[in-house]
Amino acid sequence: MVNRLISITEGDITIDGRSVRQLELTQLRRGIGYVFQQIGLFPHMTIESNIGSVPRLLGWSKSRIRERARELLELVGLDPEGDLRRYPGEFSGGQQQRIGVARAMAADPSIMLMDEPFGAIDPIARERLQNDFLRLHRQVRKTVIFVTHDIDEAIKMGDKIAIMRDGRLIQLATSDQLLASPADEFVASFVGEDRGLKRLRVRMLRDIELDPPSANATPAPQVRDTTSLHYALSRMLTEGVNRLDVIDEEQRHVGSARLQTIMDSIAPASAPKPGESHTAAA
Amino acid sequence: MSLPVHPILAAGGGPVIPNFGGASKCVVENHQFCMSWFLHNFNTVFGPRLVQHIVLTAIAVGVGMVIAFTAAIIAYKQNWFETPFSLLAAFLYGIPAIALFELLVQLTGINVFTAEIGLVSYTLLILFRNTLTGLRGVSDATIEAARAMGLSSRQRLIRVEIPIAVPAIMAGIRIAAVTTISLATVAAYIGAGGLGEPIFEAIQTGFKTEFIAAGALAIALAIVVDGLLVLLERLVTPWRRRTLQGA
Repeated sequence: MVNRLISITEGDITIDGRSVRQLELTQLRRGIGYVFQQIGLFPHMTIESNIGSVPRLLGWSKSRIRERARELLELVGLDPEGDLRRYPGEFSGGQQQRIGVARAMAADPSIMLMDEPFGAIDPIARERLQNDFLRLHRQVRKTVIFVTHDIDEAIKMGDKIAIMRDGRLIQLATSDQLLASPADEFVASFVGEDRGLKRLRVRMLRDIELDPPSANATPAPQVRDTTSLHYALSRMLTEGVNRLDVIDEEQRHVGSARLQTIMDSIAPASAPKPGESHTAAA
Repeated sequence: MSLPVHPILAAGGGPVIPNFGGASKCVVENHQFCMSWFLHNFNTVFGPRLVQHIVLTAIAVGVGMVIAFTAAIIAYKQNWFETPFSLLAAFLYGIPAIALFELLVQLTGINVFTAEIGLVSYTLLILFRNTLTGLRGVSDATIEAARAMGLSSRQRLIRVEIPIAVPAIMAGIRIAAVTTISLATVAAYIGAGGLGEPIFEAIQTGFKTEFIAAGALAIALAIVVDGLLVLLERLVTPWRRRTLQGA
């Protein structure tokens, strides 16, 4: 609906304050990157031409398109030299979707629509694609609307998650909020009974209240502040310790995380601990 | 205007060997095939007929393609058009060639133009069907991607749908070309020239060498044209050869 492949019957969608209904259709679509489950690469075009589809429509020069295609292939983890002249049929599903992502980003749209992009890809390749896309996303910073039926994928990929049921929006929240306080039974069962464990994955050590560094404490294993609570807990379990020293980007010791700290940070919002500023809103 | 008697009947009697001056023993005794006579007459009899035959076929397939392609595009965009055009093409295709030529002669006379009308009408069904099937064979995913990219309906047709239909279209052209080469021999019946001319002549005279030579040339032409079209298809669809497990 955002790019009006499906027409809007009611309500409106605005991009930067302008209704998508008022924008010229082809103009609107050329400004939105679109990636979907069936990939839909053009089988008769080389990878370069596939990636260059929208730039060509926008009148880019040949050399600029080639440059851009190289850059994007590199970005999505394919060979920018050899793969440019090959055809989609020569690639596996996972590779094709990488090309699909590259094609969607070709004209550097500010918005990307991703409709179950990794749904038809085997679990191992999907995991890699997800990780690569997250890395990519940190580099390019775009607004991404990502549709999935897989809640774990939503939690992993999304900054904000909108849960839809029967065409209605049930909850819009960050993944942490969603896991901490699901809006209703449906959302609770959807996010899974192990949502406590899942929350460990979405929170990082720097998100929780750490013990201040103390000079007389015995040294503990060191972890980065961007480490997930899930990984931190795993370190504690495997190393048989109940405290980790947390360091920042510049290797400075910023505090310590105890087992109790982690438990407290995940504790139900109904019983917030002192210093726990994060209260989820439905 | 008088049409020849049924040619097959004319061949029934004893051999009526034309007197070619100092005819060889092979020709006089009407052996199966006289190579020296064939070679001797190639430049005067067979060469020009072969060229005529090629031109006849090329025009028929070319004009047929223009009509069928246009019709297929219309049918692709407007579904209702498919049935009437299919019926018309199937009707034309179903008429026996000799009958159609006889019929056309009443309207446009004995000439190449009449022959071309007949030949074109036989190509339409195959070319129309194949083109339409090719266009409809473009996957929904490909079309969705093209739409989502902001290609207009016209741009989709030219840049995506037609190119992807090329293999099916080429397959149609191959069948149409081979069929036309074969049918064009019959068109000699109404004065179209081509390799049919020596064939009809040989049927009437019973001269075996001429009959076999013209027939073999027509067959050879069909095989060569088909082969060339295969090469052409490979040339214009490089993307089809290089795929993972024929995906």
